[in-house]
Amino acid sequence: MSPLAEVKTTRRGLFKAAAMAAAGAAGSGLLGGLAPARADAKGLAAIPFESKFSVCDMCFNRCGMIARVQDGVVVKLDPNPKFTKSRGMLCARGNAGVAQVYDPDRLRHPLLRDGARGEGKWKRISWDEALDIAAEKMRQVREKYTPSGQLFTAGADMQSEFVSRFAEVFGSFNITSHESLCLLSLNRAFLDTFGEAPYADVINSKYIVMAGANRFEALVTPDSIDLMDAMQRGCKLVVLDPRHTKTAALASEWHAIRPGTDLAFMLAVAHVIIAEKLYDPKFITEKTFGFDELAAHVASYPPAFAEAQCGIPAADVARIARELAAAAPASMVYPGRRSSDYVNSSQIRRGYAIVNALLGNWDKPGGLLAARQVGLSPVPADPPWYDDNQEDRLDAEMSPMLFEHDGSFVHTRDAVLAGEPYPVKGWFIFKTNPMQTAPNRKKTIRMMEAMDFVTVVDITMSDTAWYADLVLPAPSALERTDPCAGLQGSSACACVVKRDPVIEAMYESRPLFEIVKGLAARLDLAEHFAFTIPEYRAKQLAKLNGAEAVLDRDGVYYNPGQVYGVYEGRIFKTKSHKIELYNQRYAELGIDPLPVYTPPSTVAEDSFRLVIGRNALVTQTSTQNNALLGRFVPDNDLWIHPDPAQRLGIRDGERVVVESKIGKGELAARVTRKIRPDTVYMLSGFGTLSGGLSRIKGKGASIAEIIEDAADALCGNAAMHETLVTVKRKVA
Amino acid sequence: MPGKQLAMVIDSSRCIDCKACMAACITANAVPAGYNRNWVKDAEPDLAKGAFRGHFQPGGCMHCDNPTCVAACPTGATFKSRDDGSVVIDRGLCIGCGNCIPACPYGARFRNPALRKADKCDYCAARRAQGLSPACVDTCPTKARVFGDLSDPDSEAARLLAENKGRLVRLVASGTDTKPNMYYLGATEPRNWPVEPAPPTAMAAMTGLVDPLVKAAVALSGLGVLAMFGRQLFTKPHPPHDGHDHTPDAQASPGKQAGSGGAERPDNRF
Repeated sequence: MSPLAEVKTTRRGLFKAAAMAAAGAAGSGLLGGLAPARADAKGLAAIPFESKFSVCDMCFNRCGMIARVQDGVVVKLDPNPKFTKSRGMLCARGNAGVAQVYDPDRLRHPLLRDGARGEGKWKRISWDEALDIAAEKMRQVREKYTPSGQLFTAGADMQSEFVSRFAEVFGSFNITSHESLCLLSLNRAFLDTFGEAPYADVINSKYIVMAGANRFEALVTPDSIDLMDAMQRGCKLVVLDPRHTKTAALASEWHAIRPGTDLAFMLAVAHVIIAEKLYDPKFITEKTFGFDELAAHVASYPPAFAEAQCGIPAADVARIARELAAAAPASMVYPGRRSSDYVNSSQIRRGYAIVNALLGNWDKPGGLLAARQVGLSPVPADPPWYDDNQEDRLDAEMSPMLFEHDGSFVHTRDAVLAGEPYPVKGWFIFKTNPMQTAPNRKKTIRMMEAMDFVTVVDITMSDTAWYADLVLPAPSALERTDPCAGLQGSSACACVVKRDPVIEAMYESRPLFEIVKGLAARLDLAEHFAFTIPEYRAKQLAKLNGAEAVLDRDGVYYNPGQVYGVYEGRIFKTKSHKIELYNQRYAELGIDPLPVYTPPSTVAEDSFRLVIGRNALVTQTSTQNNALLGRFVPDNDLWIHPDPAQRLGIRDGERVVVESKIGKGELAARVTRKIRPDTVYMLSGFGTLSGGLSRIKGKGASIAEIIEDAADALCGNAAMHETLVTVKRKVA
Repeated sequence: MPGKQLAMVIDSSRCIDCKACMAACITANAVPAGYNRNWVKDAEPDLAKGAFRGHFQPGGCMHCDNPTCVAACPTGATFKSRDDGSVVIDRGLCIGCGNCIPACPYGARFRNPALRKADKCDYCAARRAQGLSPACVDTCPTKARVFGDLSDPDSEAARLLAENKGRLVRLVASGTDTKPNMYYLGATEPRNWPVEPAPPTAMAAMTGLVDPLVKAAVALSGLGVLAMFGRQLFTKPHPPHDGHDHTPDAQASPGKQAGSGGAERPDNRF
């Protein structure tokens, strides 16, 4: 008998005796406060859950979920198993939706600035007063500077379309979205190659090269989940990332590519596929335009070129090209999502698109899929004509390939500050936080200061709200009636979701729709909002018979349709009506019609390239103050390789100062081999200025304070990996 | 009628370490800040040696068939359910002595500071009573966690076990097989982290926490005196939890108290 077992035997006797003593004590009522807790299993079970469908609002994915409600309180959010886009899951952020609803830092009533901008002095006012002031300020801006003198900015929300509608009937060309701080370069590249931005059929793929994407951490549904399923079935995943992400940790291969050199890799892959004739000649002839030009172009980009640029051995580059081609068409270069990286990001992602074209994976299982018909009908506004207005967007001339509806935040900000081509003096912002998500925060503050009046609608006091004139409290997604939204996700779905309130709106919060309706009424635009959201939804669903009933029953409505082969007999929406390896429109505009490799700026010995990113517990700044998520990610730190750390005398956990040309931040160093020696990494979402986010005040450093403002030369998307920084040990 | 045998079958090769299971558990069970009923462990590759493949391992209370926590409980509050094979805490009987905490090789238990009672995974009993699966299982994006009744051959858990016979892994301390009901499929990592269950250090906690009347009652009994004597032999201070990862350090020496497993690896952050 081992000594431990002996002890156990001996002590078990003691426990039994002690148990009896305790039980006796309990029986005699001596224990008082130790009476059985009510919240035991049986106690909770006695209160049945009310279960209500909703749609998650913790990021852009909009996963279907079921809210469990007890006594009018949301106690738990669960995945809706019928929602195939998310494969019936709810991530940590989705679960933390409860903490968002009951965040004690939520805005409770309208607040009017009562001190200097950003000083944090506020006056509580009534809704009538708030809407009167906001409308009057907008009227003044319109009279003084034309309707386009008012800028509108909206984040990803199921009510954001009402901001667009309001901007349209107000008469302003100027509306920006979060997209120009995120995914536009990718969309630009694929639109200009395939005529549309595709969905990746990850689940059926046999070989995936993932560069500039971190799908196991920055979750995109269904791609993140499908990637795991595909890999379980033997799909090979090759990750190119300067950082050892969780995606890299789970990959078949990880190459710590030198940041900003992805295009060299893609061109070399194209080089091998073409030189070794690993493509489907029939597909190339029938479906693509400019193959010969491409072949001549990539001749000068052999694998050895990629090795020199990327730091990936030429033999590996060639092997990966061959393996991709061998698995084609069920293979892909994953397009990615956030592509706001470099000034040539559109061209970098064109490289991704071109390799996909050579793999012939368009419209095929395991390849890139075309968008499908969800079937929602648009509910167009009929905007009035304004004689006295500007000709176009403020930033129209600042990018040759601008997205009309998204604009460029970086360029718009420069134009506002310059007052050119015309003054913009009013700003209406709904649920987005450019103060923290756009590069160069000091400039965003100056932009705020350049405004006559800024109105922010949000659920908490974001940094952007903190610098506004008027802050209006919105309800959380669980408290609202929202329009229908159409969602797509590769082969998983083309579907419709809607939101109905799970609980009553809290505090004095009012949904965005009611706010713009109130403003419209005060600006003689009431007729454009003369409907309720249920009426609006009925119009959206006009062509989908019975959809509303299905939505009520299942929480999601699917519009089944063809997934593969939808381009059979159809032309591509490009100038040549084919997949444009060589982009003709670019040639006309003087843009490189084939992507020409430009090396990233040189990182000197004593500096680093700063790269940024997300993980599965953070959605930029919208989750930063969340009590539940804060338990996992209380602040951010700076990833730095042990070699430079040693050179700089920085030990793990020590405070460091990261400094660029425009700003600096102080945070803890995380000394780790998970990052290249020439690169440092920071998580977004920290280093806030707002005094209204009590949980994260003073935590971590802000990427917005450090990242310099550069923009994609084609579409004006922010370029957030261009910044070089120094890192120093914080001197106490 | 034979009882159920609830168990969790985990394919850790599917885990992406997204922490959805932990967030779901915290919300479903009102787990107080600083504590967790479940976890995801990270088998960090040695990048310095050129390795890069990582492995993430979800876990939680393993509802053992030979539960050392049950043996350590002085009141019978922690017991093995005859109905479903789970290890249950009856909060009405728990005196919050904390003996069970170091008695668990997995660091699966903690003292809930609000309730002053032992706390751990109960497979979401309240949810199950309403026909829902445990929150961690329900929410898991990649369905790495599968829960079910092994006595029902049609349950997914039983089916997975049957299909994977010969490649099932149960994580146990090197010296004590607690016969956990958490089965990992295939090559899961890390493996060497369960620690030897530590003998109770009950009375130190009891004297500090429990109603003085109880203390008096215990002290008056001869057995209580004996227990105090026993405590002298085995006691170690019982530091509070570090508030982050309630799993013992993977490198912990045998016999180290699970509850003191605050020594996180430097990279075990987010």
